[in-house]
Amino acid sequence: MLTPYLAFARKSFLGRSAYRFNHFMGILNTIVQIFIFWEIYQALYHGRGEIDGVTMSMVTTNFVLSICLGAVFTVDDFYLPYRIGNGSIATELLLPVSFKGRMLADNLGNAVFQLVFHFIPALFVAAVVVGIDTPYSFPMFVLFIFSALLGYGVLWSISFAVQMSSFWLINVWSIVTIKNVFVNVLSGSMIPLWFMPDWMDSIMRFLPFSSIYFTPVQIYLGELSYREIGEKCMIQIIWIFLIYLLGNFLWERGKKKLVVQGG
Amino acid sequence: MKSDTLNLAAVYTKIIIKSWFQYKVDAVLRSLAVFLREATGILVIYFTLLKFDSLNGWDMYELFFLFSLLFVTYGILIIFFTGLRDFGNTVRTGNFDRYILRPRGLLFQIIFSDADWFAAIGQGGLGIVLFVISAGKVEVVWNITTILYYTFAILGGVLIQGAIFLILATLNIYLIETMSIKELFYFNGKKFAGYPISIFHKAVQFCMVYIVPFAFVNYFPAQYLLQKEDMAYPRVYLYLTPVVGIGMYVMAYVFWRYSIKYYKSSGN
Amino acid sequence: MKDFIKVNNSSQITGGSDCIIKVRNVSKIFKISRRAAGIPGMLANMIAPKYEKKQAVKDISFDIEQGEMVGFIGPNGAGKSTMIKMLSGILCPDSGEIQVARYIPYRQRKEYVQNIGVVFGQKSQLQWDLPVIDSFELLKAIYRIPESDYKKNLNRFIEMLNMSEFLNRPVRQLSLGQRMRADIVAALLHSPKIVFFDEPTIGVDIVGKETIRNFICELNTQDNVSMIFTTHDMQDIEKTCKRLIIIDKGSKVYDGSLLGIREKYGTTRQLDVEFNKDIEVAPIEHVQIQQLDETDGRKKRFIFENQEVQIDELMNHLLSNYGIRDINVSEPEIEALIRKIYNGEVL
Repeated sequence: MLTPYLAFARKSFLGRSAYRFNHFMGILNTIVQIFIFWEIYQALYHGRGEIDGVTMSMVTTNFVLSICLGAVFTVDDFYLPYRIGNGSIATELLLPVSFKGRMLADNLGNAVFQLVFHFIPALFVAAVVVGIDTPYSFPMFVLFIFSALLGYGVLWSISFAVQMSSFWLINVWSIVTIKNVFVNVLSGSMIPLWFMPDWMDSIMRFLPFSSIYFTPVQIYLGELSYREIGEKCMIQIIWIFLIYLLGNFLWERGKKKLVVQGG
Repeated sequence: MKSDTLNLAAVYTKIIIKSWFQYKVDAVLRSLAVFLREATGILVIYFTLLKFDSLNGWDMYELFFLFSLLFVTYGILIIFFTGLRDFGNTVRTGNFDRYILRPRGLLFQIIFSDADWFAAIGQGGLGIVLFVISAGKVEVVWNITTILYYTFAILGGVLIQGAIFLILATLNIYLIETMSIKELFYFNGKKFAGYPISIFHKAVQFCMVYIVPFAFVNYFPAQYLLQKEDMAYPRVYLYLTPVVGIGMYVMAYVFWRYSIKYYKSSGN
Repeated sequence: MKDFIKVNNSSQITGGSDCIIKVRNVSKIFKISRRAAGIPGMLANMIAPKYEKKQAVKDISFDIEQGEMVGFIGPNGAGKSTMIKMLSGILCPDSGEIQVARYIPYRQRKEYVQNIGVVFGQKSQLQWDLPVIDSFELLKAIYRIPESDYKKNLNRFIEMLNMSEFLNRPVRQLSLGQRMRADIVAALLHSPKIVFFDEPTIGVDIVGKETIRNFICELNTQDNVSMIFTTHDMQDIEKTCKRLIIIDKGSKVYDGSLLGIREKYGTTRQLDVEFNKDIEVAPIEHVQIQQLDETDGRKKRFIFENQEVQIDELMNHLLSNYGIRDINVSEPEIEALIRKIYNGEVL
């Protein structure tokens, strides 16, 4: 049953290897970004050991992990809009494979490619240049991987739901861009969420974004007890479920609209 | 400029505005999206500086002021130089040949035939917002001298980035794909150019002063106005922004002229 | 700085005084750069370029008179569009001389292009999102067309091409034929003396093609505008041009009238025969036999060169050996002839 999806994932994995130069530039980009952030925080810490109990090495680890994970968490936000734009959605819906499944498979194939050829080299260079903390313990490392997978799930379902707007809007670029602003600011990849003011904390508790990168990073650093890890992962799962349900509701409505209007 | 040239510029502008603002809701959304996308970096500074108070001696408002120079210049720049930003596409689709077939200056046509108003409103708007927030809070005495200095610094900053755009655009005559070079030399640099360069490694500083001189767009002009203590460059640099702008633009223009001859002899 | 243009400016090309286009021994070699990918490859290419040479145009000469209509044809990659690009000033030749309307196209660009119009069938110069009329207004400003001339030309073309119904519609909503008509008008608003058409009817339906061809002919007779075409559609040429220049592999292989082709190369004849019953015809020397209908063996075509086979002998041979219901002699289509010229069969 999974075979066709594996084929799609494999195809998108292999498709990536064609653009070597761009890929290389992408890795360089990630490394430069990490380095620059590191320098900014060096200047902010100004030799101080810790701020509110957060050390420089924790901040660095947070950046390195979230930026490198960010390179893996590449969801094509225009997967559906592109296919609606050029009309190919109509024929793709007739194929004997689930469109949503194919979308996930394509994205995952890409993500695996990024994991092997972007995450690992970038992480290695970053660890050498700026240094990162080792995982708190082996079980925590395993839970980090589990939670990171859930983080990908949250990001994927957000993108999935946002893409559904393309059934009703000619141009979804603005919405996707605004979504990315939320992800960038609130997921912990650009600001370590420890430094968020209290009033932001209470807002973020009701938003899914901190589940994407910050939860896995906290687990990696051993900041959470097993009980807290259980809770946080449960929250991740609930978010995936809720956002996917919303997206799926829109998907069904959108498909109906497509059929009625004949694409 | 002759009145006839001005007339053409006006007709171009009318046409551009008409096509960019055809879908009003979309235009508002897009401008807002650009504004928010660029404001991401500002939000990061805001939240961080709530915690840390200062970055190498620069407080939040001073940093906003520093960033505002970058966004204001880009907002002006993109009104004129969208055609250069998208020049790769113009060459690839053969539209450049059409410019050659019209009895007007090539660069004139490229500059006036397109303007990304969403970027101009989004980024320029952000620049103005930041300026308004910070101008009163930073220790700048606004008098004739500083206002004149500010004006020339903005113009110089526009020219510097315009020259970078022109050089990167010209590369399209030789290369099929230049996106990653543009990313490397301009857009990535721009993401960090808003920070005071003194916090960066010497190599990064070297790039930002001498290779892709963002430092002359915002850091040195801000230093002149704010007089911060982290200034580690000759004081004459504070006055060089317009000179660097004109110098770079002339160089870029010579490169462009040379490349047009190459284009006519090599085809594409 | 290295000067890429080596052609001498001062020498006046000799030729008929009423020739508007003079082309003398023009050659163009393209250097196709071969480089490694990426920034290192790019840097290496900028310092020491490696090239592969391709001769796009080889020693071509011709004259075109004011008011002439000339078709340029040739297979893909023959050098047609390179020639058009050199004539219109987009490219400069490596050697040889070009003079159009007393200008050297690639040198006196701004003055020269005021005199020409160019229509690219595959590439519109209209503003995609805006009504057609807006593009015309822009061109009016670009070419500095006086208000009275603009009005006069526009009204005339709108009437000739029946465009009033879609003048205020955005270009993206137009049919291909409508868009092409608008693009042709766009190239003519500034009253050029010479117009280049690059595939002006590509993708247009039959009625649309007819409208465009009639308009082009009418304009030629009324205004004495010189016109150069490149096209794949032989109908375009047959309906509009008296003169044909065939280019193949960069060289001019034919320059003359459309009828001249038939006289010079049309030595092939074909005989379509319908027999009384389905039969096998024994091979005949110098004659190629084709079955016209796969399921019906009664209809056959006999193809031969008229120097090699006497047509009356062949007919006698067939009539005396087989029962025949109908017989029909024809000359080959011009398209087939031109294909033969490309293939080098008749040179």
